[in-house]
Amino acid sequence: MINIQPDIKFKKQLKEVSKSSLNECMQCGTCSVVCSLAPEEKPFPRKEMIWAGWGMKDKLIGNTDIWLCHQCGDCSTYCPRGVKPADVFSAVREISYQHYAKPKFLGKILNNPKWLPIAILIPIIIISTILYLAGTLQIPEGPVNYSKFFPHVWLNSSFTFLSFLTIALGIAGLRNFWKDLRLQYPDFKPSGSFIKHLFSIRKEIILHSNFSKCSNKKSRKIAHLLVFYGFILLLFVTAFAIYAAIVHKYPLAITNPFKILGNVAAMMLLIGLGIMIMNRIFDRKDFGNSTYADWLFLISMFLLTISGVVVQAARFLDWGIAYHLYFFHLICVWFIIIYLPYTKFGHLLYRVVAMVFAASAGRK
Amino acid sequence: MNKTQKPVLIIGGGISGVTTAVEIAEVGKEVILIEKMPYFGGNVVKFNNYFPKLCPPTCGLEINFRRIKQNPRIKYYTSTEVQEISGEKGNFNVKIKTSPQYIKNNCTACGKCAEICPEERPDEFNYGFTNTRAAYIPHEIAFPFKYHIDNEYCKKESCNKCVDACKYNAIDLSAKEKITELEVSSIVTATGWESYDASKIENLNYSDSKNIITNVEFERFIASNGVNENKLLRLSDNTEPKKVAFVQCAGSRDENHLPYCSAVCCSASLKHALTIQELYPKTEVKVFYIDMRVSGRNEDFLTEVQENKNIELVKGKVGKIIEAENGNLILEAEDILSGKKIKYEAEIVVLATGIVSSKTNLNLNRDQNQFITDKQIEGIIPVACSRKPMDVSSSVKDATSAAVKAIQ
Repeated sequence: MINIQPDIKFKKQLKEVSKSSLNECMQCGTCSVVCSLAPEEKPFPRKEMIWAGWGMKDKLIGNTDIWLCHQCGDCSTYCPRGVKPADVFSAVREISYQHYAKPKFLGKILNNPKWLPIAILIPIIIISTILYLAGTLQIPEGPVNYSKFFPHVWLNSSFTFLSFLTIALGIAGLRNFWKDLRLQYPDFKPSGSFIKHLFSIRKEIILHSNFSKCSNKKSRKIAHLLVFYGFILLLFVTAFAIYAAIVHKYPLAITNPFKILGNVAAMMLLIGLGIMIMNRIFDRKDFGNSTYADWLFLISMFLLTISGVVVQAARFLDWGIAYHLYFFHLICVWFIIIYLPYTKFGHLLYRVVAMVFAASAGRK
Repeated sequence: MNKTQKPVLIIGGGISGVTTAVEIAEVGKEVILIEKMPYFGGNVVKFNNYFPKLCPPTCGLEINFRRIKQNPRIKYYTSTEVQEISGEKGNFNVKIKTSPQYIKNNCTACGKCAEICPEERPDEFNYGFTNTRAAYIPHEIAFPFKYHIDNEYCKKESCNKCVDACKYNAIDLSAKEKITELEVSSIVTATGWESYDASKIENLNYSDSKNIITNVEFERFIASNGVNENKLLRLSDNTEPKKVAFVQCAGSRDENHLPYCSAVCCSASLKHALTIQELYPKTEVKVFYIDMRVSGRNEDFLTEVQENKNIELVKGKVGKIIEAENGNLILEAEDILSGKKIKYEAEIVVLATGIVSSKTNLNLNRDQNQFITDKQIEGIIPVACSRKPMDVSSSVKDATSAAVKAIQ
């Protein structure tokens, strides 16, 4: 006997987020065939669709296949019943961020527009508190120098501390995710270390090879590559900036190679994000139903990048409102970093872990 | 019964229209039966055999044709379409247009015109898989039994060879189309159905492979008067197939194509699978389905198929068909029962395409699936497959019911 335990609350949430009727699925399996990423054995998304119809949360959360999908939307295009498996998968991913969120309330406030003001208020309070403690919570006199407003020691130490705190909380969520993956695949005996398997999927991550298998919509892959490498470059430049602020001359001149690199990265991000936003607005049919959480992540990333570029210009051009803009930019940075595990940015963690699990379990 | 009552007009001379006509005429009422093709019998006359008793079409149709011929109350027109309907119940005025009849009714079907005719046309009766001369007889049991000249392919007076060859003076290449005005009491629309255009189902690659055929084409392949004459040969190399696959719901139950179930394709494919077993007992047959929807006495086919070792029913819709270099076809589906993606290599694929209500130039209410609804102005009665998908025996029952409605 199969023990089926439907989770009605979960099913309601899944229906709401995915905008799919779920139960109209007739289990024909067209989706599994047209999906170019689905493995030969136990392909997705047909089996997930019946679990979704039954509200089987345990089966869907903590399932590798949910994360092997790169959402090209072919399943939804060819689905004879219009139940949009691609949107159901992305909804399960969104619900996963909330399910594994630690602390729980952060998962909640970042996936519901009604809590958006609170979500914005938290980084404002954190930054204001640090500035208050540093004794610089006022607009400095003289030419623009951001370190007068936010002393480097305070900025770098708080930024580093919060980043590590986020990573620690993210890992706590991932541990539970990994446990659930193990429960789902009881036959799987892990062999080899996490790092070894992470290394084995390097090609997929570096070249986005699954992404290109996935879709004929090339702009999706290009956009994601631009954003992915733009962001990594910026992280690298930021790390150098922290180093420079300690041992080197800071701020950097506009001709400094790192400054140039940072600006190239910003352009990459803006172009990539621009394509993503345009695709979602003008090609609804192919890009499915974009949810609140999807837009929140996309827009916050966009604001982060554009405000960074503007703040830089304000410094060189000595604008009067430079410090206000800088404050806004800092809110964006904090928003993105401390909320990483709870927003769509969390796919960076969950997808990689699921891919490592799939590789170590030999699921191809 | 009122003797001066006007006749009933029946639009469409397939099995439903023909049945309605004879039923009405045989209770003593006048009937006018029109058909757009040069022959009666519609889709059924093209079949190899039909439900439920697997008779060849000659079986049911010939007797009905005789009933038409012998009954003076039935007036019939072929190659004729409706142009305009006006009026109301009891008093409809209908304009009909008959395309030019180059061969007159004194044709004896001797065939001399076709013998001498130098032009060829694709044979619509065989879905264009074969050709006939531009002067042709539609098929062996055609009613009316006479030759026709295809307007599009005939070179007319510049050739004139058939005119000289005809001993009966039956050919007039200057014939013009004819408009007739009718006064009728009620109208039965027996406009029937067409098979769904399989080329619209891109992922099944119908247009790109000769060895993928539809279920209606299959009937023409194996019919005794068909493309292969009681054989099933694949078009690419004329070989008898050792592996045949049937793809159910090719377009039906699919919001991208026909959102409804076409009701007959499951039974039809089971029938076809059994026909293949009769012709080639060693040929392997696989039927890929979502659900097997067979009802009533047709369930006997299902039982018979399940007992046959060479026929396998696979639960899973075919999502992709790719043609290999040798002309074989690789079908991909998820086998739902085992949860595995499977690839099956077949030599011939038959798509179980669905039923679409025929397009007409009549101004009738249609539902969201383009079937003619029962709600029309009083006196207009839709029948059989023009109003919903059904098999032959249900269509004939529906025709009887339409006949009763039409004479009231």
